[in-house]
Amino acid sequence: MRGWDVPENAIDPIHQFNVERLINLHPLGLMDASFTNASLLMVIILGLVTLLMIVGTSRRSLVPGRLQAAAEMSYEFVADTVRSTAGQDGMIFFPFVFSLFMFVFFANILGLLPFSYTVTSQIVVTFALAMMVMSTVILYGFVRHGFHFLKLFVPSGVSPVLLPFIVLIEVISFAARPISLSVRLFANMLAGHITLKVFGGFIVLLLGAGGVAALLAPLPLIGIILLTALELLVAVLQAYVFAILTCVYLNDAIHPGH
Amino acid sequence: MTAPEDGDDAAQRARLKDLSSALDAQRKASAPRSEPAGASSPSGIGQAVNLGFRVMTEFVASVVVGAVIGWAIDHWLGSSPVALILFIGLGTAAGFWSVYRMAAKPSGPPGGR
Repeated sequence: MRGWDVPENAIDPIHQFNVERLINLHPLGLMDASFTNASLLMVIILGLVTLLMIVGTSRRSLVPGRLQAAAEMSYEFVADTVRSTAGQDGMIFFPFVFSLFMFVFFANILGLLPFSYTVTSQIVVTFALAMMVMSTVILYGFVRHGFHFLKLFVPSGVSPVLLPFIVLIEVISFAARPISLSVRLFANMLAGHITLKVFGGFIVLLLGAGGVAALLAPLPLIGIILLTALELLVAVLQAYVFAILTCVYLNDAIHPGH
Repeated sequence: MTAPEDGDDAAQRARLKDLSSALDAQRKASAPRSEPAGASSPSGIGQAVNLGFRVMTEFVASVVVGAVIGWAIDHWLGSSPVALILFIGLGTAAGFWSVYRMAAKPSGPPGGR
């Protein structure tokens, strides 16, 4: 860094994940419930999703306009996913899965905009979503099947000697689901955004170094363009994976012990 | 007169059969991963990265959960390393088991397991 003075946070790839308090709120002095930039993004996401669905479905023309087509497409896409993985019974969870999918989808896509914030790159958010899914699975499983639901952990046709181990293994792999569900989404978004920032930092540093090094600066720029395309794919794919895994887990609650 | 046409017909039928079996194979190969042709079609690399990532998180999460359970049991019973070792082993087994399940049935069709 002999050339320009680069401000510290311009090349700090972690800086983009800072949670900043916009409005300080400490109800009862017990906890920190401040309105942060992450909360702001979540409100924007909710607003956009609601706007898309309400405006998109308000006109109901036979030949759909752009918004209506988008709303109908997202409805059909999620409905197909739910139906193909959890069956017709799973359609009672359609509103839940649809909300999850739209939230994650919009969070991932909006996070790609410059100066925005990626809500799904915070593990708290994704873990809260995953716990919501798993508690729905457990609650619904017990409500619908009673203790029959526990058959989920007891595969049929296993010798009695091995059964305790198999049950333990099943329980552990069930307990690992919310973790893998949340870590997958969080790590994908985090890693992608850090990579983009690091490549951006390369450009700044190469330009700052001047001379021959500055001539190399376009290379990471090309890298960023390609990575952005990949990130767009990852953003959509991860929202889809989150939705489909939710359906798979809900399917366990609907049909346990098969 | 008819002989060449017959031959033509048979050849065409054979070719059709060939094509349809190839199509079936293609469909079978691509069906479980990309039924809702959303963003999944444009590139295989995203798919592959995604699958690899799924396997990794599934495996690591199982081992970590096993370790945490073992550690907690040790903490309560004061049986220091016994349960931790046992449950790390079980967690690893659970990781392999869920990875195997994922490979056997990629996206979990109705009926589970």
